[in-house]
Amino acid sequence: MRLALLQAMTPPLAILFGFVAAAGIILAIGKDPLDVYGMMLRFSLTRVDSIAAILFKATPLIFAGLGVALSFRVNLWNIGVEGQYYVGAFAAAWVGFAIRGLPAAIHLPLAIVAALAAGMLWALVPIVLRLKRGAHEVITTIMMNYIAGALVLYLLADVFRDPAQAGSPRVRTPELLPSARVPLLRPLLEPLGIPIPEHSALNWFLVLGIALCVLASFLLARSRFGYEVRAVAANPAAAEAAGIGLGRVQFLVFLISGAIAGLVGLSDVLGFFGYFDIDFPKGLGFLGISVALLARNNPLGIIPAALLFGFLDRGAQGVQVFAGVPREVITILQAIVILAIVVAYELLTRYVRTQRKREAQRVAAAAPAAMGEAVP
Amino acid sequence: MPSLTPLTMSPAIELIDITKRFPGVLANDRISLQIERGEIHALVGENGAGKSTLMKILYGLHQPDAGTIRMAGNPVSLVSPRRAIALGIGMVHQHFKLIPRFTVAENVVLGSEPSRAGRLDMNAARVRLRALCAQYGFVLDPDAEVGTLSVGEQQRVEIVKVLYRGAEVLILDEPTAVLTPQEVDDLFGNLRRLRAEGKTIIFISHILEEVLAIADRITVLRRGRVVGTLPAAGVTKAQIAELMVGRPVLLDLPVPPVSPGAVRLEVQGAVVAGARGRPAVRGVSFAVRSGEIYGIAGVEGNGQTELVEALVGLRPLIAGRLTIMGQDVTHGGPRAIRLLGVGHIPEDRHVRGLVLPMEVRENLILGHHGRPTFCSGLLLNQEGIDAFSDDRIERFDIRTPSVQTPALALSGGNQQKVIVAREFAFAPSVLIAAQPTRGLDIGATEFVRRQVLEARSAGLAVVLVSAMLDEILSLADRIGVIHAGDIVAEFPRGGATPREIGLYMTGGSSSGRARVEGQPA
Repeated sequence: MRLALLQAMTPPLAILFGFVAAAGIILAIGKDPLDVYGMMLRFSLTRVDSIAAILFKATPLIFAGLGVALSFRVNLWNIGVEGQYYVGAFAAAWVGFAIRGLPAAIHLPLAIVAALAAGMLWALVPIVLRLKRGAHEVITTIMMNYIAGALVLYLLADVFRDPAQAGSPRVRTPELLPSARVPLLRPLLEPLGIPIPEHSALNWFLVLGIALCVLASFLLARSRFGYEVRAVAANPAAAEAAGIGLGRVQFLVFLISGAIAGLVGLSDVLGFFGYFDIDFPKGLGFLGISVALLARNNPLGIIPAALLFGFLDRGAQGVQVFAGVPREVITILQAIVILAIVVAYELLTRYVRTQRKREAQRVAAAAPAAMGEAVP
Repeated sequence: MPSLTPLTMSPAIELIDITKRFPGVLANDRISLQIERGEIHALVGENGAGKSTLMKILYGLHQPDAGTIRMAGNPVSLVSPRRAIALGIGMVHQHFKLIPRFTVAENVVLGSEPSRAGRLDMNAARVRLRALCAQYGFVLDPDAEVGTLSVGEQQRVEIVKVLYRGAEVLILDEPTAVLTPQEVDDLFGNLRRLRAEGKTIIFISHILEEVLAIADRITVLRRGRVVGTLPAAGVTKAQIAELMVGRPVLLDLPVPPVSPGAVRLEVQGAVVAGARGRPAVRGVSFAVRSGEIYGIAGVEGNGQTELVEALVGLRPLIAGRLTIMGQDVTHGGPRAIRLLGVGHIPEDRHVRGLVLPMEVRENLILGHHGRPTFCSGLLLNQEGIDAFSDDRIERFDIRTPSVQTPALALSGGNQQKVIVAREFAFAPSVLIAAQPTRGLDIGATEFVRRQVLEARSAGLAVVLVSAMLDEILSLADRIGVIHAGDIVAEFPRGGATPREIGLYMTGGSSSGRARVEGQPA
């Protein structure tokens, strides 16, 4: 009971610690930390447009964090979410502009499937190399990121560049057909009395991301495959001895990780831009690593972790505009929070382990020594 | 027997009413004990009886809540190991604390290096070390690298290390657990010599033969209390075991006659790679029938680990054939072999046996988790798992706060019981048991051995690998002695004395079965 409370309190305490530490930096640049934090909270949490912006920003991070976390769960480092979402988003965009004449009920799912497949394909190469040849996935996924970047650039600039933009400096695909665009949440929320601003692109991918996290958490805890995944994660040698195929579990989870990574960019490309251009957001895959770390690879933890990053990002805009604090300070704050959480969790885990051991010793000592009487 | 100290002299160590309480556990309950100067005093008791706590108090690692410690009649306060060492108390730990890349001399002086003008004076160290070895009859080369020494020699380094710091009282914590029978003899020779030179030795063990062989007096602890101190001369194993457990214990279980049935496991000419690809098993062949226990005796590291892993499909056979229940599973893999009803008690429960962070109930179904009892469609059947876990916990007396407690929180003995309970579930046809009673106390050991014998009566075929020769001798219907990766001799039950088997174990005899020669080394 007390342990559960302590476990629940760890992330808030670590976040608090991060904010206190970052206060030093804010003082060093000659601002009042209380002012700055107050501004950040007011700006981020009291305005509906800010809330919508936080949710929109968190959407891709949920997919990225979940993708990374799943690979971490089977002791593999998928550093390739970055490349996987790039090819995924481009594949979805291609389906969106190149395939015509489909109803939305087929076109949009097809775009999503294309993104899943592309992400999975980009994860397939590293995991096959890992399992067949022992090539380390950190190296191969990073290499695949470069290939993804170069390939998408080539396709964008030389193959699928929108002819309508010829002569302009803009490098982008043609507009996606409306049937491939994801519906926004605004029409749903407005009748409920939640006035989401016109310009917000908050869309159904937020709901899908949350649903995927909940599903992943449930399957990990309750399904046979989830059980095998947890066993492989915690002790591959024992799992192997129990007849669980290590390679099979790692292969499947890595592909799922890649597939989910393929969805990272869809909220932006299908929900916001409506085309894929050369300035498509980068770095979401690497942020996903931070999100997974913050969530301790727990799928349900991904949601608040992604929201925290969304909040910090929005808050950074606020303090930059209204308090004159450079947003780099907020980036430092993010880093300190992650470090604080990692350290706090490590300390907590050790503490919980010793407490659990004590409890078991107590039980063992309290029960009468009547070993031999038991007969199976 | 040496003469004990005259009554006029105070005991070397006197513990009076030592009490130590941990949250919820009374580890030591008013323990009073006198250790005489120049005696070997054995401290025995089951796991959790309070031996370790008491010794940690004596070595300054724990502070007692109440009670007094006197040395040579004077009260002392052992606030730290440093203080204990200064007062002449030395501890030889079960797990060696040596640096493999250092020489014997460097290891011995580590922490109390002799220096001259600020520079390490290794020559002085070597001279003193040689003198110590000569005085106590230790055979040790001061310049040998510790990593190249045998386990017995490394233990000798640990003992010398303690003597080097001027210890008069040596505490040895389960010193024989890692030794071969011959190394145990050497150790006992060393201990007797130390006693003759006036040292006092406290010997912690739960192997009763050894306690009776070496100790002058034996103190038995049970559940935190002293239940008796008796002279070793004239007591029997059964008497001590009964004191330890609190009820009569059958040390040599009656082995009911079973006529073996059909061959269930057969291995022919098995060659298995060990570390760095060298063959660790070199052409082993044997067959085990239903209702038969095939014991494999040997010094650890002679290919038992690799052989066991090959039998359960975790290591490929480079050559040879493995047939289980009439099916060729040479290339079957762990899953296929498990599906034939092969249970596996691995030698290291933390490596192959348990997923420590997972719950007890989840560990109890590991390997069975695909059975219909535990699965409904894609999902696990929680009720089925809980019912099964409750039943296993009850029948095998696994002491755990709940079925949801992570396995890492359990004591070693209870962790082993989780594995045993799991591997005996669903009526296995073949059991591969490696060190099944390692780390278990007497009561639990008796229980596990009883399980094995009962299953044998029901037709189980068992391969039993154990470093404890008495376990093999009392359980196995046939004994194969493994040395350097080959079965060098085979005996029926009662066909050889422990000493004969010990000779084969160390490769001391070239007769017996022909060895495979000319294999690439």
